[in-house]
Amino acid sequence: MMQTFQQDCMELAMRKFREGKVDRRALLAGLVGLGVLPAGSDAAAQAAQEMVMVNWGGVANQGFGTNYGAPFMAANPGWKVVQDSTGPSAGRIRSMVESGRTTWDLCDSSASSAILLGKAGLLNKIDYSVVQKSDVISPAFAMEHGAAPYSFSSVLIYDTAKFPNGGPQNWADFYDVQKFPGTRLLRRDALAVLDGAQMALGKSPAALYPLDVPACLAKLREIRRNCVFWTNGSESEQFMRTGEAVMGQIWHTRATILERETSGRLKFIWNQGLLQGGIFVSPRGNPGGAMVQKLLASMLANPEPQVELLKFLGNGPTNPRAAAVVPEEFKRFNPTDPANVAVQCTLDGTWWGENYAELNSKVLDVITG
Amino acid sequence: MRRDTGWWLLIAPAFLLLTLVYIAPIAQVLAISVMEPSPGLGNYERLFTSESVQRVIVTTLRICIITTAIALLLGYGLAYVIALATERARRWWLLAVLVPLWISVLVRAFAWVTLLRRQGVINEGLIAAGVITEPLALVWNETGIVIGMVHYMVPYAVLPMLAAMREVDPRLLAAARGMGASRGFAFSRVFLPLSMPGVIAAGVLVFIFSLGFYITPALLGGGRTLMVAEWIKLQILDLLRWGLGAMMATVLVLAILATLVVFSRLVNLRRLFGGGA
Repeated sequence: MMQTFQQDCMELAMRKFREGKVDRRALLAGLVGLGVLPAGSDAAAQAAQEMVMVNWGGVANQGFGTNYGAPFMAANPGWKVVQDSTGPSAGRIRSMVESGRTTWDLCDSSASSAILLGKAGLLNKIDYSVVQKSDVISPAFAMEHGAAPYSFSSVLIYDTAKFPNGGPQNWADFYDVQKFPGTRLLRRDALAVLDGAQMALGKSPAALYPLDVPACLAKLREIRRNCVFWTNGSESEQFMRTGEAVMGQIWHTRATILERETSGRLKFIWNQGLLQGGIFVSPRGNPGGAMVQKLLASMLANPEPQVELLKFLGNGPTNPRAAAVVPEEFKRFNPTDPANVAVQCTLDGTWWGENYAELNSKVLDVITG
Repeated sequence: MRRDTGWWLLIAPAFLLLTLVYIAPIAQVLAISVMEPSPGLGNYERLFTSESVQRVIVTTLRICIITTAIALLLGYGLAYVIALATERARRWWLLAVLVPLWISVLVRAFAWVTLLRRQGVINEGLIAAGVITEPLALVWNETGIVIGMVHYMVPYAVLPMLAAMREVDPRLLAAARGMGASRGFAFSRVFLPLSMPGVIAAGVLVFIFSLGFYITPALLGGGRTLMVAEWIKLQILDLLRWGLGAMMATVLVLAILATLVVFSRLVNLRRLFGGGA
């Protein structure tokens, strides 16, 4: 991006300030003169403040910087959004907030963590007078303690070469090891796995929750000997690519890569995929204060960067105006494309938040037993 | 005894530093284990009531014992060969033992995946040779974990045993032979007992190391086998059950200390950690 004249002036002013050639008062006066800061507003006191967005590393660092940070910075001069790829697990957020020195503003988290951490009083509530609920396609993406600027789905992928007479079309097929023999791949997690088991048991995706937990666990127990389990995305990709499993439940982003790479030999279906929000949360006591609400609002309100992120990382947009501007060749891979949403099931983050910790232990028991 | 006291002052800075950055945090962990979610021994009660807690412990112990046994067996053979080799050959042997130590455990785990997976070198080779028709399940199970861990542990098994074997006077073997003992008899009645302190030391070292293994089981276990270290990580980072995670961490620390105490009665541990005998 070309630097504007104004940006250059600001940079020079900041340099003089740092070198001690002008004092803070003169700097602020200069910035107000440039029109960068509104005169007399308290924003002047927060000149060039920084907000830290935390992701899980890899290309997300770049993708989030370009598509979430940059649009906000363009609209809010004087604010800088930096990316940190530490991986904001619930445990790290908790230890940071409890230590009393929060350095993160906005974290790429999950629905279940938003509830776990929110209940423990470790998160800022989303201010829905700033963040617009109408900017997301599903109420599941606008939670009390978090909101989703992107979406993803846990989909069924299978190796077409292993099933010349037609592959599995739903979770019932996935659990049918007689009809479709071979090793299955599942995430070592309760989330999405039990939801799939519940659908395999025949419950309608429209009225899936609350899950019948004992029945789902029993269903999982039936096929556990035919399963391998992944814990991170690249691992799931590798299991499918190297033929360790003939079908799996993996994230649509990884499934997209595999389908493109193998020209469709590995194929994924949206049917009964579990649509989830990429929930961002803000740890209590964040350095950017209330401004973080504006950052989140900007991430939800701008469909174009969301579509760019879909092209770049595969993350689905959540803005209702986004699907229409997605180029034709990406529609197949967009989890929130209306045609794809129609056949998927939106994962109930609230139900999961209440039950996640307990059910995850139970699923681990089934898997490792 | 009186003269020794002054030396303690010399280690005081190191001792203080260790207390501050090592012992204090561990004490904190111990505190969390009795404070969360409510004060009391509720978390420790789970050791006796929760099947999943017990399963993690049993799985970990089983894998560690198997790993230790195999590593000792392989390591003993290796140490024996090295101890009897010429000076020149011994240097090459030692290099071969030590080089794997410098390769990242991550790289080694991935290397094993390449060898052991369904379409890996070993399975493809065996199928091509007509030995098997279906690929063997060599990885994504406990077999895979044990293979990876043994590979990591063999050098740690070799070094203490080699040190012990080199202290055995070779003339004793010659004397045994001279008095009519067969090779096997001389080995089992003279050499083996004399090298036993090294075997126990190596066993303790390998076993303790194995208890805390994280990366190898996580990568080679296929998600189906959960060992203590990964279980603790899961409780603390993902499930926010800090009390439970801290309890298990405390149990792990206590188990290690207990092992050390028990074996310090059997073998000179100072020698194991490089101190003079």
